[in-house]
Amino acid sequence: MATTLIVNGETKSFDAPPEMPLLWVLRDILGMTGTKFGCGIAQCGACTVHVDGRAVRSCVLPVSAVENRTVTTIEHVGSTPSGAKVQKAWLEAEVIQCGYCQSGQIMAAAALLAATPNPDDSDIDAAMAGNICRCGTYVRIREAIKHAANGRQS
Amino acid sequence: MRILGSLVVIAIVVAGLGAWIIRGPGPLDFAGGSKVALADYRAGKPTGVPARLEKASLVERGEYLAKAADCMVCHTKPGEKDYSGGLAFKLPFGTLYSTNITPDKDTGIGNYSDQDFLNAVQHGKRRDGARLYPAMPYTSYTFMTDEDVLAVKAYLFSQPAVRAKAPDNTLSFPFNQRWAMIVWSAVFNPDTRFMPDTSKSPEWNRGAYLAEALAHCGECHTPRNLGFALDNRKKFAGAITAGWRAFNISSDKATGLGNWSDQDLISYLSLGHAPGHGSASGPMGEAVDHSFSQFAPEDIRSIVAYLRSVPPQPSPDLPATTAPVAPASHRDGVTADARGKKVFASACASCHGWSGESPVSPMATLTGTWAVNDPAATNVAQIVISGTRRHTPDGALSMPAFGNAYTDDEIAAVANYVTARFGTKGSKLTAKDVAELREQTAE
Repeated sequence: MATTLIVNGETKSFDAPPEMPLLWVLRDILGMTGTKFGCGIAQCGACTVHVDGRAVRSCVLPVSAVENRTVTTIEHVGSTPSGAKVQKAWLEAEVIQCGYCQSGQIMAAAALLAATPNPDDSDIDAAMAGNICRCGTYVRIREAIKHAANGRQS
Repeated sequence: MRILGSLVVIAIVVAGLGAWIIRGPGPLDFAGGSKVALADYRAGKPTGVPARLEKASLVERGEYLAKAADCMVCHTKPGEKDYSGGLAFKLPFGTLYSTNITPDKDTGIGNYSDQDFLNAVQHGKRRDGARLYPAMPYTSYTFMTDEDVLAVKAYLFSQPAVRAKAPDNTLSFPFNQRWAMIVWSAVFNPDTRFMPDTSKSPEWNRGAYLAEALAHCGECHTPRNLGFALDNRKKFAGAITAGWRAFNISSDKATGLGNWSDQDLISYLSLGHAPGHGSASGPMGEAVDHSFSQFAPEDIRSIVAYLRSVPPQPSPDLPATTAPVAPASHRDGVTADARGKKVFASACASCHGWSGESPVSPMATLTGTWAVNDPAATNVAQIVISGTRRHTPDGALSMPAFGNAYTDDEIAAVANYVTARFGTKGSKLTAKDVAELREQTAE
């Protein structure tokens, strides 16, 4: 069955079972491997993408549920205003350690800034608590989000 | 001697009167119209299979009816072969295991004659003469016609025989006295076949047969009386069954189905979801997956017509209205439980959203659901513990089970947060309540 998605501004049509998680479609069918598989049950945040601008976990989202909706992934988030700010701040603060969770962290942070341009700690907690980092980069993530919000240079 | 005789008579009269009072009306007495024997009913055919299966084989007809009666869910232990039994019903007085109803001769029902099978399904009597406990809803199945019961038998006998012996029941005294079920059955089993009501439409009669004889809605949705039988004075007023709340499905406007549209009900029964009313989970989720989703569309409509006619029963413990959409930001709205908010932020918000309207799918929307509006938070806690999975024509959407990931204390906290944020009146669950809910769940 042909499914149509708008991914990173491009219309993509492909054959996939309707219950296939969006993550599998992105990685295995569309070859976009920037989005990572972590836990598979929406509990670690590694697979976070934007659907209509909101951060969602693509590992539990059947592709049928996002048909004809706008999907943005880590490959393209740098061309959104908040995504560009986040990526810049991430580099400046040297947030990344092993990096596995970071595409999810960046997607979550970009969605946060798009909705809440000047988040305080409680906003950051509320938006980022579901994104887990084994390396423990949380302190730098928090810093970088604040830098991105203020447009400050470090 | 004469005095003694009088006392005995009085005692019998009092006992009989007591039993009669406790028993109350039958499941269809509310309708009040005049009943006729099925053979004398000409307006329609309330029993059997839908028209499209009228010419189907006995086994195919039996399959439809077995699914309508939802035999499989109780007679299959998760992970085991269909109909091989062994599902545990945890009751306050011990554990009861469902039996193997595959055609295996030693451990199943392979030796059952037609009469044996009728005796079990309509009268609660096992082949060896022992009485069944009413966990087997024979007080509902008793309304099935012989023809339909035997079609179900033909279907079951067409299934692979599985050798599987259910564990022995662990009921405590006096509940382990099976013979006492003779008395129970004499009082509480109507032991009568379905009789159409000529004052109602053929659609209503079909719905009544489906809901009462087959789908046995009341077994979960009607409260029980002192004798653990259905109290039809409060028909469909809702009850707790196997640790889950089966909500009020009477026509009450505030807390029952009175405000659901026909389309809502059709959608909920056939897909397990109705926009603005949430998704079926737990035992009702199973009933949708294995039973209602297999019903012919006209049969679903008949059930809806029937449900509409059940007199309103209030649920005084439930708020009269559901809550509106919660604020989009985490900082607005109530934070009844700070720890619950933390758990919600890490485990729930990404799918359910802070507003309760899911960014993922309408199926995951919490706004408007009865579960979050229940100040006892029973089903919220249960869904968190065991997760849920909805199958739809477009695929499946699931929520993981958090029962092993979070402590009872954390589950209580998040349930209290969720009911306060998305419902009308927040719950006050404690870790002990959650532990008790875990205990009651069938497995």
